[in-house]
Amino acid sequence: MKLTIGHLYPDLLNLYGDRGNIQCFRKRLEWRGMEAEVIPFLSGDSIDFSKLDIVLLGGGSDREQEIVCNYLKDIQTDFQSFVEKDGVVLAVCGGYQLLGKYYKTDKKTIEGLSILDITTEWQPERLIRNIVLNSPLFDTPVVGFENHGGRTYIGNHTPFGKVFYGLGNTGKSGYEGVVYKNVIATYLHGPLLPKNPHVCDYLLERALKRKYGPDVTLPSLPDELEHKANQYIVDRYSDKKYILKETIKRHT
Amino acid sequence: MRLRSKFAIKCAKGTSALIKKLNRGSGVTLPGYVARLIDPDILKELSSQVRKKIIVTMGTNGKTTTNAILYQALAAENQKVIINRTGANMLNGIISAFVLSTDRHGLLDADYACIEVDEIASVKVLPQLKPDCALLTNISRDQLDRFGEVDITYNKLLDAVTSVPDTVLIINCDDILSYSLAEKSQNPFVTYGISEQIFDDISRSEIRESIFCRNCGKKLCYDFFHYGQLGIYHCPNCGWERPVPDYTAENIQFHEEVYSFDMDGLSIDSTARTPYNIYNTLSAYTALKTLGAGCRNFKSMIEAFDYGNNRESIFTIKGARVQLHLAKNPIGFQQKVSLVLKDEKPKDIIIQINDTYQDGEDISWLWDVDFQYLADSHAQSIITAGTRRHDMGLRLKYEDIPCTSTTDLRTTVLERAGHGTKNLYVIVNYSGLYRTNHLLTELEKEPEGGNHA
Repeated sequence: MKLTIGHLYPDLLNLYGDRGNIQCFRKRLEWRGMEAEVIPFLSGDSIDFSKLDIVLLGGGSDREQEIVCNYLKDIQTDFQSFVEKDGVVLAVCGGYQLLGKYYKTDKKTIEGLSILDITTEWQPERLIRNIVLNSPLFDTPVVGFENHGGRTYIGNHTPFGKVFYGLGNTGKSGYEGVVYKNVIATYLHGPLLPKNPHVCDYLLERALKRKYGPDVTLPSLPDELEHKANQYIVDRYSDKKYILKETIKRHT
Repeated sequence: MRLRSKFAIKCAKGTSALIKKLNRGSGVTLPGYVARLIDPDILKELSSQVRKKIIVTMGTNGKTTTNAILYQALAAENQKVIINRTGANMLNGIISAFVLSTDRHGLLDADYACIEVDEIASVKVLPQLKPDCALLTNISRDQLDRFGEVDITYNKLLDAVTSVPDTVLIINCDDILSYSLAEKSQNPFVTYGISEQIFDDISRSEIRESIFCRNCGKKLCYDFFHYGQLGIYHCPNCGWERPVPDYTAENIQFHEEVYSFDMDGLSIDSTARTPYNIYNTLSAYTALKTLGAGCRNFKSMIEAFDYGNNRESIFTIKGARVQLHLAKNPIGFQQKVSLVLKDEKPKDIIIQINDTYQDGEDISWLWDVDFQYLADSHAQSIITAGTRRHDMGLRLKYEDIPCTSTTDLRTTVLERAGHGTKNLYVIVNYSGLYRTNHLLTELEKEPEGGNHA
């Protein structure tokens, strides 16, 4: 079996080690004896979504996102129909914002893909810290690092998870990200997938089922190290004393 | 001098003495805080007492080394120089450096001040210091959890230098971010750059800041890359291009682990083992020439200069050669990977990754380093340590490079030194440096640890 992963605009959207997500997809397929083909699409390249099983849209700075926005107009229709036909998408940070209707910064409004019915507004105070989520999709918490100036309002969409520690979509709503069909859109860097192999496998399984039928299952992998890395963050932010110490440090 | 300033200096010195007496750390920031509390204009007051020039050094990588070169070069010309200590590069640390250099009348006796300034702190520091010259090493991604995005760092630096429009900028014109910042700022500027290809493939990570024209937004063309976004570039659309640098290093040769090069008529046999130290040397020299400071002894000074990647960080423990290296951001770490690969002997590697505020709480950057090369590094063992040892372990796992982890660095170093390849690399990020250096120094001294066993 083989999956083809499209990495959108790595020349513009390559912030914060997000290529770790690609590496995670690739390795977890290869370790199971499956094939992974990763196609980077640079800005201006034409994209044939019918050949793709998974699309990764990463984060960029506000300036870079503005440049990307021009390229998005050309792929809007194809991308949207990919999503509606259950294509698997992982959108992180800037990529998450760009799936929405617009991102309003202090200077201008960047038009998004309007695939999700969400909007983002910039505020000067950035939301920066480790984050732990509980997602109804998984038994294991999802951990990562958030770093965003935008506040994302998700309307009637289903959030990706409930914030256990951290700030999330708006810093106030108590929720983080969006899940829509086979799309996971989130602010979580870290990168997201290596420390959350359950999220990676969830997306891989969705993509394999879509391509090869509902009987496909993923054999499990020895994930001790992944679990240790995940558990370390969960334990740290389950410790009230630690949180208090970190909060004091942050404000002094 | 105003009474208020005098009182501020007295109190700051008292604070410093107290910290030392109580053995509560090095006491390089609190005295500055105390002084500023009493006299908010203390830095203006003291910096105006510097007789000749004030140089600030800023940028992502190479600040400390460059500032040390400036200091040594000026000292070699018999100048009296104030310098701030490594890491004390925020406002309070800088004030401390000035305050603690005063005599008992609260007066400075200094010809020059060489001050390393943190990028975020620069906005506050520069207007008070009014430096004659600001040296910018380069701008790249570092501690993104503090800075947010590299564009935010860029804008802070731009704000800082435009607040002092007479300050001459010393700019690395191979770096599109630095060069465009200089052009935008309206400050006078002098450039330095290297036109030869001196960095190997391994030290050039594929992750770089966006290489899009800062004027028109189109993708830039590069003749070649040094590393990161540094290289020889031009914009095919609007014609914006890397200028001919005012100062350059040429005929760069790598021979027996060190570099030699020509610079402004000087032939330098340096002790630099890594190409980025050529940049650091060149930038410091450019600043000195620009300021009209003497450079008569520059050659002899720099040929004896310790870049800190040589003797200082090499220990002998249980007969093993143990090297300590600092790697605190992707570009820095990539250079270390390249250094490890240049050593063809079998080796053991310990990598310690912490995530304190000083290190950067976000360790995502580990994924921006091309670690896959370590598969060919003849490493007999790789052991991860530090609070984020499992994240580091995962990074290697996803390159199919086996590793183990430890929570007891001391035991692990002794075990590897005693039973390993006798060639041990210890790579740490920022907060682990001081303690690990201390640990290795101790282990070297111990009778069973050092040479004398």
